[in-house]
Amino acid sequence: MTNDTSIKIGAPVLRWSARAHSIAEIESELARIWSGQDLTATVDGEPGRHVSARTSVMNFVVVARRPELAERCAATMQSLTGRHPSRTIVINSADPDGPSWFDARVEAHCVVPREDAPETCAETIHVTCGGESGLHLAAIATPLIVHDLPVTVWWPGEPPLAGRPARDLLAGADRLVVDASTWGGDGLARLREMADLVETTDLAVSDFALVRQSRWREAIASIFDDPDFLPYLRSLRRIAVTYSTHDATGAPGSTNMVKPVYHVGWLASRLRLSVVKPLAPVTGHGHGHAPAPAKGARGGPVRPAVSRGVAATLSDGHAEVAVVVRPVVSSTPPGTTLRVELLAERRGSELRADVTAEADTVHVRVWQDGVEAMERHFRAPRRTDVDLLAEAIESGRRDPVAVGALRSAAAIVGPAGARS
Amino acid sequence: MAEPAVKPKDAPRTMKELRLARAGKRSSRAKPVENVLREGLRLARIPDPSVMVLFGATGDLAHRKVLPALYHLWRTDLLPHEFQVLAIGRRPFDDETFRAGIQASLEKYSRILPLDAEAWRSFEERITYLRLDFEDASGFDALVTRLDSIDRDCGTRGNRMFYLATQPSQFAEIVGQLGRVGLDHERLESGWRRVVIEKPFGHDLDSAKRLNREVAKVFRESQVYRIDHYLGKETVRNLLVFRFGNGIFEPLWNRRYVDHVQITVAESIGIENRGAFYEATGASRDVLQNHLLQLVSLVAMEPPATFQANALRDEKVKVLRAISSDPLNPATDAVRGQYGPGWVAAMPVPGYREEPEVDPESETETYVAARLTIDDWRWSGVPFYVRTGKRLPKRATEIAIQYREVPHRLFKDEGVAPDANLLAIRIQPDEGIMLRFGAKVPGLRLDVRSVTMDFTYGSAFNVDSPDAYETLILDALQGDASLFTRADEVEEAWGIVDPIVNAWAEGPPDFPNYDAGTWGPAGADDLTVRDGRRWRRF
Repeated sequence: MTNDTSIKIGAPVLRWSARAHSIAEIESELARIWSGQDLTATVDGEPGRHVSARTSVMNFVVVARRPELAERCAATMQSLTGRHPSRTIVINSADPDGPSWFDARVEAHCVVPREDAPETCAETIHVTCGGESGLHLAAIATPLIVHDLPVTVWWPGEPPLAGRPARDLLAGADRLVVDASTWGGDGLARLREMADLVETTDLAVSDFALVRQSRWREAIASIFDDPDFLPYLRSLRRIAVTYSTHDATGAPGSTNMVKPVYHVGWLASRLRLSVVKPLAPVTGHGHGHAPAPAKGARGGPVRPAVSRGVAATLSDGHAEVAVVVRPVVSSTPPGTTLRVELLAERRGSELRADVTAEADTVHVRVWQDGVEAMERHFRAPRRTDVDLLAEAIESGRRDPVAVGALRSAAAIVGPAGARS
Repeated sequence: MAEPAVKPKDAPRTMKELRLARAGKRSSRAKPVENVLREGLRLARIPDPSVMVLFGATGDLAHRKVLPALYHLWRTDLLPHEFQVLAIGRRPFDDETFRAGIQASLEKYSRILPLDAEAWRSFEERITYLRLDFEDASGFDALVTRLDSIDRDCGTRGNRMFYLATQPSQFAEIVGQLGRVGLDHERLESGWRRVVIEKPFGHDLDSAKRLNREVAKVFRESQVYRIDHYLGKETVRNLLVFRFGNGIFEPLWNRRYVDHVQITVAESIGIENRGAFYEATGASRDVLQNHLLQLVSLVAMEPPATFQANALRDEKVKVLRAISSDPLNPATDAVRGQYGPGWVAAMPVPGYREEPEVDPESETETYVAARLTIDDWRWSGVPFYVRTGKRLPKRATEIAIQYREVPHRLFKDEGVAPDANLLAIRIQPDEGIMLRFGAKVPGLRLDVRSVTMDFTYGSAFNVDSPDAYETLILDALQGDASLFTRADEVEEAWGIVDPIVNAWAEGPPDFPNYDAGTWGPAGADDLTVRDGRRWRRF
């Protein structure tokens, strides 16, 4: 047991730590944490700050398959204690084929977010288990959840969304947080599984991959704030997304494609485009144009990969919209969107938009009938897991934009195997 | 005054459309296209590329509030990359010295310190200074040239926001000059033009009307953003969410359940080296006419049909009209006061008449309390007690909804009866909401005691709220006027305050009539005691 009472403004401090070997022991430790506490603490050497009682505004369940991932997630959660004090349950299950075992550490972290703010404390329960115990995630999390508070499940890595343990755990959750851009292969099969989950449950999903693109969406939307360009919005004829790969062949499945596909999914959902032909590898001359060179984009010069990428055909009910998602070899992290190009045609007039990533900005350029008509920059610094998690938590119920983008992305991806 | 007509989007606009509408037919006019990509974007919309032309850039308001707000908006990526500040002042600065002055002010007034060096560096590059005498016509011609050059060099696309952080006496002059050189025009493809005007908007009804007329000669009402910074405060904005985003309170928000409402804006500070300003203003003009009446409007208004600027402001104006329809009797419904020497926060403080730049015989009020009645269906018979003052014992701004007693006191024989329910919305400090209700004291007796359910922003959301100026400047740049006051609102508010101030001007007051560090003059207590009520204790 630890009871450290020295506090620095803004930094979480461990105020309590105890071991437990069963759910009952955890519950008993949770009760002890707050019953025997001295409600004063030392701040910068001065005693006397009043310690507020435990605060929880939600339950946070983290399923981490590796210990280092569990530690990283717990640290992220502690950074959010001041902003979103939660009961956090970190489950790290290992060796599913071995004997069953269960070990837990119960901790209380406190933070004084500002000089004039009361201290806020929250509990973290680290559960490590092996064998069959680790398979029954819902049986571990459910008894430890503070009832009546929303439950968010953060599943870093590769969540087996179609499996029974995940379905059971998520049945008691309000929100699932994932990062689909870290999934293996092209990530698209799992994206479909996640879309199925959203269709069949009330679960809200926050995907860091989609949240990170918010500045891109803002940049693309800003083009059509201009009344001169707005009429072109319903006459989109081509969407081309270029993404980075480290694989010179650019073969389908070699690089995560969730982010570029989300761009198309978002546009398709907002513009109510239906899928005529799902994504399939481009063969022959396919959808025509080679990607425009992305010189100066994040990570310096790029060169086309051998693969011509994948293509799909959408429809706005009147005309078809060609979609190309294409890799280029770049030193930026694989799967990063480098460019989104839009082409719209209306009454013999053409609008071309080119949105590119440049260092910490998104650069928008628009040409109307070949004449440059607009140029803007949007700052888009890389956001940390803490920022992304905070935004996920703060988004309330299901975000219709996220649901629409995911649903359309899954439809564009098409049935499994269509892309190979 | 006639209520401004707000034409629905699909209303007939031409005679042909009117004839078709009467015949039950639709015109062939295409429905306006909307930018569907904007729907549901969670990220705050980045305003259009633009220039903010800041008049009075060397003044206190600019350095304490406006420029720190812009810096924070920039630091948090909420301003467009193509954003420029053209600071206008009379003093002879070059860009470098002016920027150094701003940096010094930010280091003093920024709500987050230390400054983010990188953010400051990129922000200061966007600030330039132009020396300009507001009465000098040729200076405004030079301003046009300068703005055109900024548009060309910085991609600001002709979008201009003129922010008047000057003395109120200069508003009309500046607006007139802007009109003379054509900076008000929103021609096709020339970008938008907006003007932001700081309070006070006039010093009485006549001067407010005159100012509104002068502004209206140059700018359309939709281009004018009158700032009352109280409306940008997080808790004031939350008042709308609290009332109209929760199903359980609105049914209880009327004369049937509410006994009375109290709104207090108490300040422990004095006039803070603003003696000259305060002498010409007083508490009625400084706080009652704007902040207090805005709070009354927000508490008493009917739910607007939409959250659009005009829908919201239409409802607020109706409240002000309902107050002025039954004019106050200054002798019985309003009380004024002026502080004498006393003790605040364990420190001796001078009386108002001993403050610098204040007339030793001053008749300016530093305290005002009033009993308002709102003559409408919802609030008929429910008094709204409002008060504001300087050098009160503590700083507190609060709206208190005092509910009626229960109709039948079932527990009257068992100990002390509980107080009636109370809902208190604390605007500052300790922003939050408190609901008081009765609960049984544990034990064998049936004692009932008042307890509170308390929500404090600090515990539930441990985040730094944006300053009101950040909210309002961003709204103005985005063209959202919801939190800005409209010309008719300003005039209606003056219509309420003018009769009080005019009546007071007729007779010399018995000042000072309250000690610094007390809750105001005894007469203020009479306002409530006469009705069998009392002011809330803080």
